[in-house]
Amino acid sequence: MKNPAALKLAALASVAVFSAFTAFAQDVEDPFADAVETRHGLMLQMATDLGVLGAIAKGEIAYDATAASKAAANVAAIASVLSMAQFPAGSENGTSADSFALPDLWAKQDDFLAKIVDLNNAADAMKTAAATDGDAIKASMAQLGGACSACHKAYRQPES
Amino acid sequence: MKFTSKLLLGLGVAGVLAAGAAWFISAPRAFDANAFAGLEGDHKAGSQVFWAAGCASCHMVEGGDPLVLAGGQAFATQFGTFHAPNISPDPVAGIGGWTLEEFARAIQQGVSPTGAHYYPALPYVAYAKMTPQDVANLKAYMDWLPANATPSLPHDITFPFNIRRSLGLWKAMFADDSYVITGDLTEAEQRGRYIAESLAHCGECHTPRNALGGLDRSKWLAGAPSADGKSRVPNIAGIEWSDADLMTYFTTGFTPEYDSVGGHMAHVVENLGKLPESDRTALIAYLRKVPAPNP
Repeated sequence: MKNPAALKLAALASVAVFSAFTAFAQDVEDPFADAVETRHGLMLQMATDLGVLGAIAKGEIAYDATAASKAAANVAAIASVLSMAQFPAGSENGTSADSFALPDLWAKQDDFLAKIVDLNNAADAMKTAAATDGDAIKASMAQLGGACSACHKAYRQPES
Repeated sequence: MKFTSKLLLGLGVAGVLAAGAAWFISAPRAFDANAFAGLEGDHKAGSQVFWAAGCASCHMVEGGDPLVLAGGQAFATQFGTFHAPNISPDPVAGIGGWTLEEFARAIQQGVSPTGAHYYPALPYVAYAKMTPQDVANLKAYMDWLPANATPSLPHDITFPFNIRRSLGLWKAMFADDSYVITGDLTEAEQRGRYIAESLAHCGECHTPRNALGGLDRSKWLAGAPSADGKSRVPNIAGIEWSDADLMTYFTTGFTPEYDSVGGHMAHVVENLGKLPESDRTALIAYLRKVPAPNP
């Protein structure tokens, strides 16, 4: 296609087709929206509870056995909820809107589930630490953080 | 001789001279092996250099044992896909049997034992600032790791970057191995600078690059698109996190919002966790010296 006018027309046409397609795509309901929203909500609640434990670990607030134990129990409860139920096949980055989950999560499902077991173990250790003192919480944060990032390293697309 | 043929001859001569100059400039530089003469490496001290330098993060098998440096991880970039090679001590598949001088030239100048340029996916511009003793210690540690016979995968690079000789020109233009942050620095700030600018090569991902892949040192650590173009590496110049926030991040991977580190940075946090606390403190001291970028 050497005619510049024809080239322009073709470009315009492809833009029009693309726009029509995306408009259509937006109208179709994302079948994984609920699952993605659920797991994001679980992560946000976990961050809220980790915020209490983290503030004690950083020395920003004084150690409080009741508040710390409540936060650690919440983290453990959320960890125990995590399963493939929030990660239905297909709810991946690029396919499902708002999803950051990488396809490897499903390709290496056994490893993903093993990492959830690690998270539950780390959360249990934090429950013990939370009932002890601030230093124990600080020491336990590394194991818990390691369990979080093990999954995020392998199975989460970094934000753009 | 007519004017046009004179012109052609002139252009031809200029072309040959330019090509000759390019050939000359692109040749691997001489290497001062004297700095390494008589150095004995200590493998225990080398393990600290190994973790700080993040060797395993790229050269381990994805999800595998970080001490088996069999290579194979793929790194997609705008120039093509790089495959981390086998750098285990296997004499055939890896780098077993290299002399200390060959090893030093490879990681500090980006030149192979046979005289070929390496791609700057290997951060040799940063490693160039490594002390000779640290290089010797690192080699002693890596020699001590398990050998693995998995052959290295070829890179898949587009023209003209697939011509290795062209990397000599790249080096002449962009391989500035001087420190970025200079001036009066405390001992801790200097240690932090050595970790950040040399060993841990933070600038390789956190500093933006020009169209040819050269680092823009005027925007040091000011954030950049990720190498694969799919995400953004954050700006950490003039970072506003508190010292406690940074220490928590380097130790646990938790951000101040209690999101957790992911992607390749998760490797970095694991590596930093293996260093003495004084090194993480030094890194924080260094980050305080890195100015926020001009708007």
